[in-house]
Amino acid sequence: MPEETDILELLEVAGTLSREGRSAQVIEIASCMHRTPDLTRQLIDAVLQRGLVLKTQNGVRLSEEGEALVRKHREEYVHRTYVHGRSLADRIRGVLEGRVTDWHGHWHRHGFDDESIQGFHRIMQNLQGRIEDTVSLADLPQGEKCTVVLAAGGHGMVRRLAEMGLTPGTEVRVVRSAPMHGPIEVSVRGVSLALGRGIASRVLVKRLRNSESSTST
Amino acid sequence: MQAKRKLTVCLAGNANVGKSAIFNQLTGLNQTIGNWPGKTVERAEGTLHFKGYTIRVIDLPGTYSMSAYSMEEVVSRDYIAVERPDVVVNVVDASALERNLYLTIQLLELNPPLVIALNQVDFAAKKGITVDTNKLSEMLGVPVVATVATTGIGMQELLSKVVEVAEKATRSTDIKYGQEIEASIEKLEVVVKTGLSRLSSRYPPRWIATKLLERDEDVCKKIELDKGDAIIFQATEIADQIEQIHGEPSSVVMASERYSLASRIARTSVRIISPPRVDMSQILDAVTAHKIFGYPVLAGVVASVFSIVFVAGNAMIGVLEGLFDLVLVPATRTLLSRALPPVVVQLISGGVVWGIGAAVTIVLPYIIPFYILLGILEDSGYLPRAAFLMDNVMHRIGLHGKAFIPLLLGFGCNVPACVGCRIMETDRERFLAGFVVTLIPCAARTVIILGLVGRYLGMAAALALYLFDLALVFLLGRVAFKILPGEPVGLIMEMPPYRMPAVKSVLKKTWARTKDFVYVAFPFIVGGSVVLQFLSVTGLISTVADFMSPLTTSWLGLPPIAGIPLVFGVLRKELTLVLLADLAGTFDFSSILTPVQMIVFAIVTMIYIPCVATIAALAREFGARRAAAVAVLDSILAVVVGGLAYHILSFAA
Repeated sequence: MPEETDILELLEVAGTLSREGRSAQVIEIASCMHRTPDLTRQLIDAVLQRGLVLKTQNGVRLSEEGEALVRKHREEYVHRTYVHGRSLADRIRGVLEGRVTDWHGHWHRHGFDDESIQGFHRIMQNLQGRIEDTVSLADLPQGEKCTVVLAAGGHGMVRRLAEMGLTPGTEVRVVRSAPMHGPIEVSVRGVSLALGRGIASRVLVKRLRNSESSTST
Repeated sequence: MQAKRKLTVCLAGNANVGKSAIFNQLTGLNQTIGNWPGKTVERAEGTLHFKGYTIRVIDLPGTYSMSAYSMEEVVSRDYIAVERPDVVVNVVDASALERNLYLTIQLLELNPPLVIALNQVDFAAKKGITVDTNKLSEMLGVPVVATVATTGIGMQELLSKVVEVAEKATRSTDIKYGQEIEASIEKLEVVVKTGLSRLSSRYPPRWIATKLLERDEDVCKKIELDKGDAIIFQATEIADQIEQIHGEPSSVVMASERYSLASRIARTSVRIISPPRVDMSQILDAVTAHKIFGYPVLAGVVASVFSIVFVAGNAMIGVLEGLFDLVLVPATRTLLSRALPPVVVQLISGGVVWGIGAAVTIVLPYIIPFYILLGILEDSGYLPRAAFLMDNVMHRIGLHGKAFIPLLLGFGCNVPACVGCRIMETDRERFLAGFVVTLIPCAARTVIILGLVGRYLGMAAALALYLFDLALVFLLGRVAFKILPGEPVGLIMEMPPYRMPAVKSVLKKTWARTKDFVYVAFPFIVGGSVVLQFLSVTGLISTVADFMSPLTTSWLGLPPIAGIPLVFGVLRKELTLVLLADLAGTFDFSSILTPVQMIVFAIVTMIYIPCVATIAALAREFGARRAAAVAVLDSILAVVVGGLAYHILSFAA
């Protein structure tokens, strides 16, 4: 029986490949997952059986159940990693909350409004690559470069961040951070911005390797 | 033909791009500073003459965007759309073109006659950035003039372009976004044109369509008033489609669109000659925003500001007080007593003249040096660093780092600090900061702590009292933060590079602020002192003291005469000591007050109602009801804490 985490990884990889319009055959999936083709084939068979993916002439694509499972996994991951898990008290609260059944109501409790929940759902659905590859902006060390994936919060905050230049896909460099959970300073579009730790921790980013960074002013 | 013609020009731009410097260059000393009608947003206006034109220049508040999230933004966009100035000058920072063009694109959406002042080209050149003005002008479709506001380079050319654009009345053209967005905007534009004839005569229909797509609250409200529910419904549907395609809220999609346009324009018109070197500002930041060294620097800056203010203030205070008490008050008294009955003379000399004296002796000695130093700190760009370092602490009382700035002002005087609360984003944060500010021991309260407790009980006791007050500020801030409804807002703040402050700009700011202080505070201080003079002439003052005596003597344990100075203290806090000396007939307070009484007296004066000038400032910023609430709350708190201190301390003694 394959591990649940492997299945989720497979679904995220297959989803990304098919959304990019690339073929999602065993060989591509295997190389993305750094597994042997043999192991990958077993995994694919297992998810096919559970109806999480469908066969196409281009390999596989996610079924509706598969999409839903990925989305739920990503949502839970964001909830666990970025919304809770910032401080000990938060972590305890997260444990006490236990398994959330009413996600919509739950995001409301975290200061999200309907509009931002919708947007959040869509981003979670369309995210390219694995959710585990994203990190919180607040966790990046000084000097690190990254691109913005999304800001998870009420639409007032999301909009203000976008207006200050932190739109999805923007390159950001961490300049410095203040001590004891103070704010962090980032450089974005040639301007220095100070972001409170609470806000920075809710900005999900993807790390950039040095070779990937474009030369921006 | 060459009759005097009039033009109205407004300056729009981000904060920290030298907009005010351009305003000062253009208008010189012909400026008036006030508020926008009904708003606590500063409005600066000036006039100048150029080529036979009388040009009225209005400096719009510095904003990053034209959405409806802050009062500043609504004021700016309504001014441009509805008042329709002849020309809008968009001041743009050449060293951060991409970010600045975001606002430019939003201005173009309103298509006013537009001229771009590409400012700080010298500073950009130092960073190795040159901007091709011709290319920029071509891409934006509006004239671009390179300027250096601090030295006045490019001002004549800017004015020529302004006149040229005004004469031709050329409105800027629309900018085009991506396909889907463009299609949606066009669809909505048709609907707006046909369905909202009244509103689209005021605002450009395309702009209304864009704002509808972004779900702009202000525009939606206006349309609802115009019975356009069906249109909002239609817009919501289209916005939903956009969100479906892009997977982000439509406002973020629009922001991304504008930024990608801005970035494209910036990339084609900017040339980076040399790779950016580590500049002076970065070196300074390495120390002043450092996670360890930043704090001693901050402490040093704050300490030197206050020591300079106190040294300069005390030097002036003696001279000025002497002038009023020994010369002007007796002089008016002798002059007037020849013609008027003594009661009226007393009201005028003891009320009006003495009141003006009281006001002048605070304004000049403490406020002016404080404003000068504040201007230097502001223009240098240090304050955002202080806010950055203090964000963490400020969060404990539900505010973010920016609130540190008004709190710092509060140590000088609560009046400018209340005005300084405007930098907070939401109404809730503004009021919370305003409330906390009134509890900050200002210069006048510090005088009491030092003059009474410090002098007779030692500096350690004075320091303890000071710390006690700060702890109280912290505690009450926390309580208020829990009680006031609404979510706390996190810090999102630009950190502009360090700059050398210019003497002229600092002095101008000091002058404008001092004038503002005089307008807010003087009527109240003078009016208040007339009322108190009236009470004392008619003998009602002792009635008041008697009325208060259960409170002052039994609960607070103070001698009966102490009630009167406490009443007078509303006018001016350090007055309480002078009056106490007057009433007791001696300056040796140890002969009339026990050590415990001294502490209680200092505590009560420190906490109870902020002085009249502060109440006036609070009323102006937050409305009379909230100002009254703060005043009453502070007074009750003072009595409660003072009483508790008396009972606890005398029990311990």
